[in-house]
Amino acid sequence: MSHDLVVSARFGIANSHTLIVAQAHGAYTQLSTLLAQPPQSLVQTVIDSGLRGKGGGGAPTGAKWQLLEGQAKPRYLVVNADESEPGTFKDRHIIEHDPHLLIEGILLSCHALEAKAAYIYMRGEYRFWHDRLQSALDEAYGAGILGAHSCDITLHRGAGAYICGEKSALLESLEGYRGQPRLKPHRPEPEWLWGRATIVNNVETIASIPYILYKGAQAYRAMGTKESAGTLLFGLSGHVNRPGVYELPFGMPLLEVIETYGGGIRDGRALKAVIPGGASTPVLTAEQAKNATLSYEGMKLAGSALGTGGMIIMDESTSMVDALDNLLAFYRHESCGQCTPCREGTHWASSIVHDIARRQPRSDALPTLKNIARTINGQTICVFGPAVADVINGFLRNFPQEFA
Amino acid sequence: MSNVTLRIDEHTLTAPKGSLLIQVMLDNGLSIPHFCYHEALEADGNCRMCMVEIEGQKRPQIACNTPIKEGMIVRTTTPSIMQTKRAILELELRNHPVDCPICDQAGECSLQEYYMEVGLYDAHVAKSDKIHKAKHVDLGSHVVLDQERCVLCQRCVRFVHDKAKSADLVVTGRGATSVISAVGAFTGNGYAMNVVDLCPVGALTSSDFRFAQRVWFLQSDASICHGCARGCNIHLDHHAIKGGIDTLYRLRPRKNSAVNGHFMCDTGRISYKSLNENRLLEPHVEGHATSFSHTFSLLRRTLDDKSQTIVALVSPHWSLENLASVKLFCARFEIPLFGAHEASIEPSFADEWLRVADRAPNRAGLELLGIDVSPHARDRALSRAQVVLDFGHDATLSSMSTRYYFGTHPHSDAQMQLPVAAYSEESGHLINCDNIVQHYSGSVKRSEPLLSLHALLGLLVMEGAWATQPFWHATLIDMAPSLEGRL
Repeated sequence: MSHDLVVSARFGIANSHTLIVAQAHGAYTQLSTLLAQPPQSLVQTVIDSGLRGKGGGGAPTGAKWQLLEGQAKPRYLVVNADESEPGTFKDRHIIEHDPHLLIEGILLSCHALEAKAAYIYMRGEYRFWHDRLQSALDEAYGAGILGAHSCDITLHRGAGAYICGEKSALLESLEGYRGQPRLKPHRPEPEWLWGRATIVNNVETIASIPYILYKGAQAYRAMGTKESAGTLLFGLSGHVNRPGVYELPFGMPLLEVIETYGGGIRDGRALKAVIPGGASTPVLTAEQAKNATLSYEGMKLAGSALGTGGMIIMDESTSMVDALDNLLAFYRHESCGQCTPCREGTHWASSIVHDIARRQPRSDALPTLKNIARTINGQTICVFGPAVADVINGFLRNFPQEFA
Repeated sequence: MSNVTLRIDEHTLTAPKGSLLIQVMLDNGLSIPHFCYHEALEADGNCRMCMVEIEGQKRPQIACNTPIKEGMIVRTTTPSIMQTKRAILELELRNHPVDCPICDQAGECSLQEYYMEVGLYDAHVAKSDKIHKAKHVDLGSHVVLDQERCVLCQRCVRFVHDKAKSADLVVTGRGATSVISAVGAFTGNGYAMNVVDLCPVGALTSSDFRFAQRVWFLQSDASICHGCARGCNIHLDHHAIKGGIDTLYRLRPRKNSAVNGHFMCDTGRISYKSLNENRLLEPHVEGHATSFSHTFSLLRRTLDDKSQTIVALVSPHWSLENLASVKLFCARFEIPLFGAHEASIEPSFADEWLRVADRAPNRAGLELLGIDVSPHARDRALSRAQVVLDFGHDATLSSMSTRYYFGTHPHSDAQMQLPVAAYSEESGHLINCDNIVQHYSGSVKRSEPLLSLHALLGLLVMEGAWATQPFWHATLIDMAPSLEGRL
C-alpha cells in the first residue's frame, strides 16, 4: 500500500537527526512562509485535516486548539513526550530519527496558538532520547531557528512516573509538584500551566503538523478513513517475527498488518490475543481480531480502542492469567495513589490475579476482582482507573476459562 | 451571587449558585461521608467518599467537586449509590488496621463512623495481605504519624502547603504504598498540630494528648485562647476522673471565620498546661497558706489605713468583667489604678497569619474601660507606693513597696497572695486585636473554692451583685457605652 509518510519520511536517512541532514531533506524549508501566515489560518488547516491526538485519546487536535480562543497571553504549548504506555514506543523513534520534525512542528504549532514558549516533558527513562533532542534543540538555537524572535523550547525530563503522561499530572509535575492528575473541569477549557492557558499535545501529533501545513489538509485527509484521517505510527511487539514501528494509514485490517509488517506470528504459531493500542486498551481474542481494522471507529466496533496503536501480539502459548498478572503489576506500581479506588483497587486486583497465577486464589477471588473493576471504573480523578478496569474486564470477558 | 434551589433526597434547599454541593449539605446538617474535603481547604476530590447521584448524570458524582445549579436533583440513599459508597469504603479499609479499640482517634474518627454505618464486617482480604507501614513516626512538633491508619486524603499536606506555608509534609512513594512524610523536622511554621484536628482518622495524633483520655469522656467548653490578642476561638476539653480533679486535656480550635477560621497556633494549643499546673490555690500571707477570712481582714485593715500610699496595677489579661471590677474596687477606695503592660508585647511572636505581638488577650478592653495606660504616670506612682495591689500585673517593685497579689499562679515576691479563677474556670468577655468582642466560658471545676476576680472583689466589699452576670453587663455598658449590643 503506497501512502505518504507523515512523520517517518526521514527515518531511513543516515544522520537524519542532525540539522544539516534534516534540512537537506526538506526540514524547515517552508517554515518562514508558514510563520508569515495568520495563526487562525493554520488552526483552520489543522481543523480541516481531521488530525486526531496520537497519544491514545484520539481527540480532534483542531478543536482542542480552539479552546485557546480568547485566552490571555502568555499561552503555552506543552509536548507530551512521557511515552510510557506498555507496548508503545513510537514517539521515541521520531525523537531519535527526526527531532527537527518535532521542533518544526512545535514552531508551527506555537505560531498557530500564539504561544512564545513550549515545554517538552520527556519520560525520565528516555535518557538517550533526551540528549538527542537536546542536541537538536541546541543546533536549532545555534542556527537561529529557535529563540526570542520565534519561540523558546524547554526540554524537561520527568522522574519516571507513568501517571505523568496524563496531561494534568504532567503539568503538576512540570510546575514542580508531585505528579498527580487534577480534578477535571466541568466544561471544555484549555489546560493550565502556572495559571496560563495551555495546550498539551503528543509528540507524534505535533510532528504531524509540518506535513499538514506543507501539503494541506486534503493531502492528510486523503489517507486513512473518514473518521480517522491520516496515518499513525503503529507499533508491533510481542510474538511477531518483525516487531517494530510502522507508519501506516488508518483503516488497515489488523491481521494484515500483523502478517505484512510484523512478518506473522513467531514459530508459525496461531494468534491468541492482541492488545491493540497500548496496555490500557481491552484485549481482543483472535476471533475478534479477525475482522478488526486499525482505526478509532474500527477498534471500537471490535470491542476495544485504538489507543496509541502500540499492539501487543500474543500467540497460543501465552497464559492469559500470567499476562494479566504482568499488566496489573505495572498498574499497581504506577497508580499515583491519589484517589482511593485506583490506589487500593489496583493493588488489590493485582494481588488477587497474582494469587490466581500462583493457583492459590481465595474462593471469592473472581467476584471480588469484578467488584473492584466496577468500583474503579468511572469513579476516579483520571482515566488510569477506568483503563485498569477495562484491562481486567477485557481479560475476564474474553478468556473466562483461564480464570475459572 | 444569586441563590438557586435544589433538591437533596427529601429536602428542598436554597443556597448561593455555584456553592459546592458538599458544603451546602454540611451547612444544612445533611450527612455526607467524606475524608479529603474540608471547608478551609480547596476541594481535592481524592477520597471519592462523597459520591452522590445527580439526575441527568450518567455516573455518580463527587459532591465536593459539584457546584450546585438551579433545579438540581441529588440522591444520596438509593441502593446503587449506597453500593458505590460501600465499595469505595471497602477499598479505603482494605489496608486499614481495624484496631479501633486501641486507636486514640476512636470516638472522633470519620472512618470508624462510616464503617459502623455501612457495616462491612466480613473482610474479603486476609490480614496477612494488608500492606504494612510504619506505625510510629514522630514527625516533630508533637505530631505522631501512624502510616497504616492513613487514608491519604492529603488534608495535612494541603494544609501545610496552602495555609501554614511551610510545605514540610509531602506524600512520598506511590500507589497503595504511598505515605505521608515530613521534609526534615515538621514545624508547620508553628501551626503543626492543626493537622491532628484535620486528620479524619487516627493517622496523625498529638503526642501531647494521645492515650491521655478517651474523647467520649471529655467535656468541651467554648472558650477563647488567652495566648495573644488574636483571641482564637477554642474548645476547652476537660474531664474529672472519678474522685480526681477536673483536668484540662487539650485545646482545639473552634471555627470562627471572623477571627481564626478553623485553626490556632501550637503555642496557644499547648498553653492549657499552665492552667492545670503550679496554680495558686489558697491565700498566702508572707509565704504561708492561710484562710480567706484572715487575708480579708488584713487586706481591709490596709485599705482603711489612710496613712499608707496604695497604688493598684492591673494587666490586660483579664476579662472585661474582671477589669471593670478592679476599676470599681479602686474607685471605691480611691486607689490610683494603672494598666500599662509592656511585658506582654513580644514582637518576635507575631507572624503573618494568626499570631500577633500583643500576648495579652484584652488590651483593647482595658483601654476601652478608661484605665490609665500611661507608663510614666504608673512609674511615678509606683516610686511613691508603699502597698501595691497587683492584679496579675507582675511589675518589678522597689524594695520600699509591699505587693498584695491577686492571681492564678503563685508570685515569689508578694506579701499577700489571693488565688482567683483562671479563664478555664469562669466566663467573661474579651476584645481582640481587631476590636471584636468575644465571649468565653469555662466550666472546669477545681476542688478548691476559686472565685472569679470580680466575685472575689465583690466578697471583699460585700457586694453580692458583683458575682452576677447581669450586674456586669449593665456596669460595662455604663462604663463603655460602645459595648451596647456587643456583649
